[in-house]
Amino acid sequence: MKLTDSKADMQGKILSVGGEDHFMNRITSIGITEGTRFQTVRNDKKMPVLIYLRETLISLNRADAERIEVEKI
Amino acid sequence: MTGSIALLGQPNSGKSTIYNNLTGSRQHVGNWAGKTVEKNEGSFTYNGTKYIVTDLPGSYGLSGNSDEEIITTDFIRSGQSELTVVLVDASQLERSMFMLAEFARMDKPAMLILNMMDVAEGMGKEIDTKALEKKLGIPVLPFNATDTKDYDKLKKLIAEEMKAPHKLKIAAPAEKADVKADSKEKFKWVSEILENVTRTKDAIYKMSKFDRLMTRPVLGKVICIAVVLLAFVVAMLFMMPFSGVGQMIPTLLHDPIEKLLTSWNVHPWIISIFSMMLPNTLSFTLSMAGFVFGVNIVFGFLEETGFIARAAYQFDGLLSKLGLQGKAICPMLMGCGCTIGGACGTRVMDNWGQRMLAMSIVWAVPCASIWSIIPVISGMFFSWWQTLLVCVGILVYVVITMVVVSKFFCKKLVPNDTKSGMIMELPPYHKAHWKHIFKEAAYKAWDIFRRALGTVTLVSVIFYVLSFSSDGNVNNSLIYRVGTFIEPVTKFFGMGWQTFMAFCSGAFAKEAVLGTLNAVFMGNNSLMEATFFSQATSTDAALLGSAMTQMISPAEALAFMFATTFNIPCIMALSTTYKESHSLKWTVRVALFYICNALIVSCVVYHVANLFM
Repeated sequence: MKLTDSKADMQGKILSVGGEDHFMNRITSIGITEGTRFQTVRNDKKMPVLIYLRETLISLNRADAERIEVEKI
Repeated sequence: MTGSIALLGQPNSGKSTIYNNLTGSRQHVGNWAGKTVEKNEGSFTYNGTKYIVTDLPGSYGLSGNSDEEIITTDFIRSGQSELTVVLVDASQLERSMFMLAEFARMDKPAMLILNMMDVAEGMGKEIDTKALEKKLGIPVLPFNATDTKDYDKLKKLIAEEMKAPHKLKIAAPAEKADVKADSKEKFKWVSEILENVTRTKDAIYKMSKFDRLMTRPVLGKVICIAVVLLAFVVAMLFMMPFSGVGQMIPTLLHDPIEKLLTSWNVHPWIISIFSMMLPNTLSFTLSMAGFVFGVNIVFGFLEETGFIARAAYQFDGLLSKLGLQGKAICPMLMGCGCTIGGACGTRVMDNWGQRMLAMSIVWAVPCASIWSIIPVISGMFFSWWQTLLVCVGILVYVVITMVVVSKFFCKKLVPNDTKSGMIMELPPYHKAHWKHIFKEAAYKAWDIFRRALGTVTLVSVIFYVLSFSSDGNVNNSLIYRVGTFIEPVTKFFGMGWQTFMAFCSGAFAKEAVLGTLNAVFMGNNSLMEATFFSQATSTDAALLGSAMTQMISPAEALAFMFATTFNIPCIMALSTTYKESHSLKWTVRVALFYICNALIVSCVVYHVANLFM
């Protein structure tokens, strides 16, 4: 599923990240890489998605979060 | 003897705090050659050796193609600095060590600072710094950026390392052509290093109660707005002693100076410069510095605690439409109180382009002074519900101006490739370190006082020359002659010479507008006194109203109100913008934009209103 479809408090794993190099650089340098475990903390309509990953609370805007495929674990 | 070091770290790693504490007031701000990226360079002296410190622009990595990353990489590779001090956040060790993985490929002398050890310890995290040091082969210093005692250790270590530098002895992460694979490789490198160095519990993250409130879609926004408006009130409280002293200056100095100079038979023109203009300039600048002090304290507090990051999360969606980061909401709300506060509040923005764009948009926010004059003038011409309509009309045009400013400047200031959506961390709430906040605020306020005094004095002199008349009669001033001469032109924009003069003095200080109107319509006090001695002049709105309604039409009044609201904010806000942006070119550019915008809106309002009134 897409990260934007995940529910709050879901424990998950990043499956894939898509996008051009510039976006990829930004997203991976903050720690969102394939295989990383994370927790969806908050996912409200029209708001950025909040995830907890590598001991960090990260906020991603929805358009970017749509490009991230995740799975529940 | 001198040495040169560079500070490297991700945003929120506490890099600027360390830079400020290391270098104190010995800082120089410029631009990296050919780039709109701010270059911060400072120095400190330890044991007789001077060390130049370059604060490298903050970014999450070094492999991207942003200006910041290219500058940082080039600088480190060039070897201009003999030692790179790499900063990581101990409370988010795994993620922030990514920067060290990037750095490792450059094979240059380095040392590592584990910042925010107190936060990490508070989270129950254990880090074996000795083991880390052994693995890396470079010195590792556990650190609290806000603890002044730690800086001696840091300086001592820097001095030692400059004599006998160390390089990472562990091999750099293998390079992969694919961005994804490359990042993975770097994180693998980090986890291998951190193995047996730190223990991390794989716990389920629980938001704090406050965070749960702060991230609620509607309530969170309401809290943010309330907090920033409250912060404005608190900033005003900090300002009060300064402006209290400031307001006493003109009154206290005026008579003695005048008496003294008169007894020396000095020309009255010179006397009024020294008795009226200079004390007033000093008073203005002092109040302004006091306000900057207050704003820096409250923003320092909000930033250190992590509040600003929450506000950014809340408002990012809305502000991205203007090309701004969510963080800009704080200076924008601050601008409702005072544009100076808004301009210096933009320090929370991440890069120069964003900061400049935020400042130019903050200018459109009508400040409290505007709201104190518009209803008065409107009340002279219109009924209460019409006045309400005027205010609504102004608010609508505020939004329009913001959109136009953004359209106009966004491309240059925030190029598309740097604009990608918000990907940011919400740092955990920290306790505020008051001593540190006060120190930095005092330094900022002093800096702005020192630098702005010159700018404000210069503009004051210009306005003074324009408004001077030997007998106090407006008709003898230069500005009257210029004003009446170009009246055919200003009439086209909806303003006669009287309102045009008030428009000009509004660009100097919004508080001067009523006094100027009083001077030009009633001839009660001189224009100069209205502008430079506003405390001593009183305006009787009812009398002024009857004089104005006789001499100008409601359409002209309406046009004037719009022109004044959207004109450049005031000379203090202008000089704050210049000082904060370090760019005369951009300050002038934005100022010209606002003057044109004000004239255009005034012109349109006047001619449209004439059709109906």
